[in-house]
Amino acid sequence: MNWRPRRSLALLTLALGAVAAGFVRGEVYQEPDAFVAEVFGSKPAPKVLWLTQGIQTQAAAILGHLPAQLRQRYWSDSHRSAWILEEIGKEELITAGFVVVDGRIDHVRVLVYRESRGQEVRYPSFLRQFKEAKLAPGERLDREIDGIAGATLSVAAMERMARLALFFDRISRQ
Amino acid sequence: MSPKLLLLRLLRRWHAGIGFAAMLFFLVLAATGLALNHGPDLSLDGRFVHAEWLARWYGIKSEAPRHAFRSGHHVLTAANGRWLLDGKISGERLPQPVGLVELASIFVVASDTALYVYRQNGELIEKLGPGALPGSPVRAIGSSARRIVLRTASGIFASADAVSWRPGSERSVRWSAPADLSISEQQAYEEALAPGISLEQLLLDLHSGRFAGRYGPLVVDLLALLLAILSLTGAWLFLVPRMHRGRH
Repeated sequence: MNWRPRRSLALLTLALGAVAAGFVRGEVYQEPDAFVAEVFGSKPAPKVLWLTQGIQTQAAAILGHLPAQLRQRYWSDSHRSAWILEEIGKEELITAGFVVVDGRIDHVRVLVYRESRGQEVRYPSFLRQFKEAKLAPGERLDREIDGIAGATLSVAAMERMARLALFFDRISRQ
Repeated sequence: MSPKLLLLRLLRRWHAGIGFAAMLFFLVLAATGLALNHGPDLSLDGRFVHAEWLARWYGIKSEAPRHAFRSGHHVLTAANGRWLLDGKISGERLPQPVGLVELASIFVVASDTALYVYRQNGELIEKLGPGALPGSPVRAIGSSARRIVLRTASGIFASADAVSWRPGSERSVRWSAPADLSISEQQAYEEALAPGISLEQLLLDLHSGRFAGRYGPLVVDLLALLLAILSLTGAWLFLVPRMHRGRH
């Protein structure tokens, strides 16, 4: 390889890197702070749920992998809780906010989407399917979530996060 | 010998020759194509190949580590988007750290946009992004009276647990500062912190031929042409003798 091909490969790598960096930064639809403030009127102090060995095992059964961290912060009042979760769709993290009221999902919002395809999961028509969903035996949702062509992995990630939010809400109230 | 028989012999010889000559390339294309087809299952995007020769080949300039952040029990060195924390690589595509502080049961690494809270054994407790920080960018991290102290663009904040933050002051804060590495330490860490190429990108470049530079894709185009010729000659060699047998 002489210097010219090497330079073109380096430029290509840099270009791919720049594109990847753009995707990693992602499309921010709502700042997590703003989401919490919208739910509670103001931003209450966060609480933390420590993921003990037992909780990690159950969370891993829902996610298909161990949670990335040992504590999960959340916000709650007497009957509702808000969870900001992250899960990989195909290659990048999706950040979504879940509000759980009395053990059922009240509403869901995609906050940051970093994948190159599958942004359709942020549309209300898709997210409305989660309203009133609760955990059924086996920590599954009590309903089927309709997929979106071309966004299968993002849909699956949203469903996993919804199950995890409901599971965490239940654990946090025990 | 009839012209048809002559043509068949010639085609058979060409078919075998082209197949043998391109075998290695076809095997590479098949192997890389198979792997790429299952990229998400194999987490190709999350795996990196670290080798100085590969970084040189890609024209990526390797950045040598120059500083380390030290606390009572922990040492952090960073370069090329990688952290060497207590002698172990702790991840890829990580930001440049601005400091490291240690409290009784945890230690915390700060970058300008995030805090990484670890147990003393190195397990990640939590990563705090901009939304969970009291202010950003973080310009410095320090400790004072068993509290983490952050100097940010919005002011100084202190916390005992990195969950809730209160406004703080600079008084009696020991700010984390980078310490220069010796030449021997730089050399030792440089190899461990060599820049990486994602396995997915490497396989894509091998599959498309871009790995070989500007003319690589042309070689792959030629291989595609050869594969088409092999298919056609293979079909010819398979069908023509059968058609002849059918006629007799």
